[in-house]
Amino acid sequence: MTECRTTVPSEADQLPVLAQFLLEFWSAADLPPAQSVPFEIALEEIFMNVVMHGSPAGRQGRVEVCLALVDNNLTLAVEDDGPPFDPLTVPDPDTQAPLEERRVGGLGVYFVRQMMDAVSYRRIGPRNELRMTKHVAR
Amino acid sequence: MKARVEVLDLATVVIAEGRLDFSAAAGFQAEVEQALGGSGKAPAALIIDCAGLEYVSSAGLRVFLLAARSAQRAGMWFAVCGLRQVVREVFSLSGFSQVMNVLPDRASALAQVPRKPA
Repeated sequence: MTECRTTVPSEADQLPVLAQFLLEFWSAADLPPAQSVPFEIALEEIFMNVVMHGSPAGRQGRVEVCLALVDNNLTLAVEDDGPPFDPLTVPDPDTQAPLEERRVGGLGVYFVRQMMDAVSYRRIGPRNELRMTKHVAR
Repeated sequence: MKARVEVLDLATVVIAEGRLDFSAAAGFQAEVEQALGGSGKAPAALIIDCAGLEYVSSAGLRVFLLAARSAQRAGMWFAVCGLRQVVREVFSLSGFSQVMNVLPDRASALAQVPRKPA
């Protein structure tokens, strides 16, 4: 099992730091480069959701990201100390609406649901935790 | 990410390269708005060439949505082309492939630009 974690402030300018963290884990674990994109997307969508909606009142939020590879299943866990929020309650966007009525809101979580094999949310004390797991073929 | 604009006789082409994530979206949107006619005369057609695009998230997709909508309002023909597998999957999951022209490459996009009668 390979595991790696990092913590960053809940700020948009930390996104490249997290993307780099994921890609470094990817190459250290010798995973196939072509399969990193669903995890890159999941990390960006969930982190940006936290940045936009999840900071604790009156202080800087923190986001902890953990990657754990067990057998060939990779789990990406994102924890934040913002107010309780389960992103899995966000309704799916209407992917059939005409152009004028299209919205991007909700698409990020929808991508995560569609791209990952399993997604679960837990509130643990003062923190939200979203765990996303997908098989990586090697 | 990098973006540059080529003005052709038939169409204006925005060439998108690299990683279109949240951090890159605002800069890319500014380029696209410029291509849509921000600097003066609007083109008859706008093509976004994604052959060099390696990654797109929902923040990046938003730029395509706004561009398609602006083009539609302006009566401008609009297409995206050259989507790599990972980018095509995001377009397909979002259903955006159904509300905008998605073509295999720049040549096929240019071939479909409606010709004005002489």
